Amino acid sequence: MNHPGDLISAYLDGELSAAEHGEVAAHLSACGECRAEAEAAAAGRAALRGLPVVEPPPGVLPAPAVPTAPRRRRRVAAWAASAAAAVAVVAGIALAGTGDRAVTMDLDTLAERHTARVVVDPGISTLRGPAGGP
Amino acid sequence: MAHEPVPSWEEVARRYGRTIYNFAYRLAGNHDDAADLVQEVLLRVRRGLASYRPGSFEGWLWRITRNAFLDEVRRRQRRPTSPLPDDDRTRLGSVPEPGDVLAEYRLGEDVQRALLDLPYDFREAVVLCDVVGLAYDEIAEAVGVPVGTVRSRIHRGRTMLRKALS
Repeated sequence: MNHPGDLISAYLDGELSAAEHGEVAAHLSACGECRAEAEAAAAGRAALRGLPVVEPPPGVLPAPAVPTAPRRRRRVAAWAASAAAAVAVVAGIALAGTGDRAVTMDLDTLAERHTARVVVDPGISTLRGPAGGP
Repeated sequence: MAHEPVPSWEEVARRYGRTIYNFAYRLAGNHDDAADLVQEVLLRVRRGLASYRPGSFEGWLWRITRNAFLDEVRRRQRRPTSPLPDDDRTRLGSVPEPGDVLAEYRLGEDVQRALLDLPYDFREAVVLCDVVGLAYDEIAEAVGVPVGTVRSRIHRGRTMLRKALS
């Protein structure tokens, strides 16, 4: 095979067919020049993947909402909202002093878990969760 | 993949908002542009969901996102202001621990600066691959180019970045 060139990154990422993958592997074991290029690509990839995740400033994303329910489910929705609010207050107190971000993140997680629970229960599900059930 | 359910707008915001923000931040290099872009993308998603048909949702979403980014870039080129890249340490998600973390921040800044020096096509390809985490075929769908072009842009983007950092 000729020097694989641009295929090298796809090789590193497992994005080649089995046949191509084998050919590039064989070539790399025989060609120092291409091995050096593979090392450079791997280093570039590592630098990019090592970039820290940047957190959006507050207000950029919509606040995680308590899932809304159709009217006939209002009682359940009201219960869910107050339960979530109660937990949120407790979480807020527990996290007071750890900084705004920690509180925000935690409420986020909280709301997600809560949503997951609502989805799991078909009786009060309003999101497009897995349909069906008995 | 062919029959993913269509998520609600709120789900899109919750599930992808942070990733879209990071995509924009890495491409633009500053928080103001990233924040503007996220708002614009979520608006377009909200409008577009009505006509969206189940298929590759990620392909659809990232096509909207990169098109919104390009529109924003073009809009700004008409009235050029060049915001300086922010400093990573101002708004990191995790609380930094003292000690060797400072060195990591500097490295992040170096990488960000080198990234901003890459030509746009290469920068976009490596950010979609290595920051957003899309597969090559998803990138091809989002960008509207053949997979072969994606391979080439990713490889050249990474090696150019490596060279700039050495």
